[in-house]
Amino acid sequence: MSTTTLSDSEHRAAADSEWAVATHALTKRFGPNVAVNNVELRVPRGCAFGYLGPNGAGKTTLIRVLLGLTHADSGTMSLLGYEVPRHRDRALARVGAIVDEPRFHAHLTGRQNLELLASHRETAASDRIGPALERVGMTQRADDKVSKYSMGMRQRLGVAACLLGDPELLILDEPMNGLDPAGIHDMRTMIFALVAEGRTVVLSSHLLDEVERTCDALAIVDRGSVVRQGPISELLASASVFLQVECSDVERATALLSTGNLGLRVESGAAGLGVVLPPGAGRDLIAEVARLLVVNGVELYKLQPVQTSLESWFLEVTSRLGETK
Amino acid sequence: MTTLPETTLPRPTIAPGAPHDHRGSSVPTGAMIAQRFLELRRRRGLMIVLAVVTIGLPSVFLVVRLLAHAFDPKSYGPAGGFAIFTGLVAGVLYIFGFIVAAALGCTAGSVDFQEGVFRHLVVTGRSRVAIYLARIPAGLGIIVPLVAIGYAVVCVVCSVAAPTVLNYNGANVPVGLSRPALVAWAGAHYAEVDCNFAPSALGLAGPGAKKAAHVPIPCGPTGKIDLNALPSGVPHPTVAQMRTAAMRAASQDYSDYHRQFLSPPVGLMVDAGLWIELEAAIGFVVGLGLGSLIGQRTISVILMIVLEVILTPLFLRAHIPHLINLQRSVVGVATDHLRPSAMPVAMGGGGPGQSPIISETRLEAILVVIAWLVVWTALGAWRMATRDT
Repeated sequence: MSTTTLSDSEHRAAADSEWAVATHALTKRFGPNVAVNNVELRVPRGCAFGYLGPNGAGKTTLIRVLLGLTHADSGTMSLLGYEVPRHRDRALARVGAIVDEPRFHAHLTGRQNLELLASHRETAASDRIGPALERVGMTQRADDKVSKYSMGMRQRLGVAACLLGDPELLILDEPMNGLDPAGIHDMRTMIFALVAEGRTVVLSSHLLDEVERTCDALAIVDRGSVVRQGPISELLASASVFLQVECSDVERATALLSTGNLGLRVESGAAGLGVVLPPGAGRDLIAEVARLLVVNGVELYKLQPVQTSLESWFLEVTSRLGETK
Repeated sequence: MTTLPETTLPRPTIAPGAPHDHRGSSVPTGAMIAQRFLELRRRRGLMIVLAVVTIGLPSVFLVVRLLAHAFDPKSYGPAGGFAIFTGLVAGVLYIFGFIVAAALGCTAGSVDFQEGVFRHLVVTGRSRVAIYLARIPAGLGIIVPLVAIGYAVVCVVCSVAAPTVLNYNGANVPVGLSRPALVAWAGAHYAEVDCNFAPSALGLAGPGAKKAAHVPIPCGPTGKIDLNALPSGVPHPTVAQMRTAAMRAASQDYSDYHRQFLSPPVGLMVDAGLWIELEAAIGFVVGLGLGSLIGQRTISVILMIVLEVILTPLFLRAHIPHLINLQRSVVGVATDHLRPSAMPVAMGGGGPGQSPIISETRLEAILVVIAWLVVWTALGAWRMATRDT
């Protein structure tokens, strides 16, 4: 946990770094289990970034490694351009984070907990307690003991704690947990506002819909490895396209499309015929499917491409990984 | 791996860069210490226990004695005095001060882990060693005044409600006499002195006639001379002989009498106060280190109680072959060797000035105490610095 002094040029270089978070070959093991496996992660500054993965995928472990709560076995990482753990004090000075569920001293009030945390930051952090409480809508309950708080209120208090350091980077681990629909909406609005101020928000979650609504970019992690990352729109564009087909002869259509060399995957069910086009397939392939059916005497009633949702893409990506392993 | 093109996302508009506040330093700030102090002080249950044990116990004991003496002074002696002071300090404040300080230390060392707040503190970027060290002045700021208040109550009552006459060896003796004055007083009160002062000087102190070193003086069961108790044929001592024996006993007992006081002297109160504060400080610092090391408050407190009430008395009173140096290295044994000379051996044994079985020089004792403070602080800080959370 040692720290070293930085020169002014090193500070400038850190401030100019384009990545809020960057890791290289980061690995963390717990005995034989590899919780973080050779992770190459790049989180651009000034965006809402989703860190998405199923339970047990290693999301929280990666966050703990980044924040210095546990050590990495190998690899390098930087936060806001500062190499950590070498300059963790500098890096974490402008980072706010909630890891797992936010927990506080139950015998203290929300405000007193924030005062305790602010005392560990720069002097100006104490002046941010009021505005932070106001921002998360906790001013009215700030002087109640935390033992009387609901889970959602603790989440809000956790976000307020993150804001004490006027963070450039916020790392929120499952921040929607325990929130009611209104609370989720408020949290989402706040994340948008934080990003609009130029802050970077890393949102770790298994709630696919929430990530899709909130984030600009994401990384998908499975079994400790980042399997995809990038802007959501680009990632979904590269996903498979699903065609809903209604036709006169489902069996014949299935045989035609399966045996062709178009690289299609055909699924027939009660709802009709489903055709999965390979990732990156264009409109030409859809036309080719239509032509193949019509030329071979199958009457085509409906041919509708369905945009892949993040959820189906996520399941596709993670299950594919499971097959290869 | 797919990465984002830089141009697709907005650049930060908030001021970048980290504040220059030396948060990597191992030295805690005043604000950290103050907030930790408040965090501990706001633990109402713990504070009540600390106050009850350090202030309540001796206060209740003294109030009961005050009331008993006020209602029935013949049956119950004065509430205060030198003997009550030494007994309370060495038998209650010393031991319980250590235990409550240890409980506070174990709490301060472990609750952040147990209550899940430690990770909040770590992600501030503050040095983990500084986070640990902030607890030492914060905790001492609580336990030292508490012990001082309890001790002040004892000092005040023992001074104000001290007996007016010194009961020494069963005889009521004026206090503060010089050796010639005590000898002269003994000659005038030979009937009390002969049957109560040092038996070795008189030869007879118990009931019935016994062989005296110089002259047989018979004492009755009430502690007074009873000439009828002499066996037949034994000549009765003369008044001059009895007076001479009393004066000789007084002279021989003077060194012991000289250490008897109606109320505790100011110098002793200062020394004893520093002594029990040292014990409390040791309890806190060791408890803090142990709590941090184990990360679990209950087990840490139990271990500290075992150290204080089982291991320390054992090592203080037993002479274990081949383990003498181990016994000397126990902090309770060392602090006992630092007690004011007028105090009895800690853990409720022996009278004032009595030496414990295990010998140790004052320098050795000081070194042992310093070693315990340094080692446990280092262990606690190391564990906090390396703990995964």
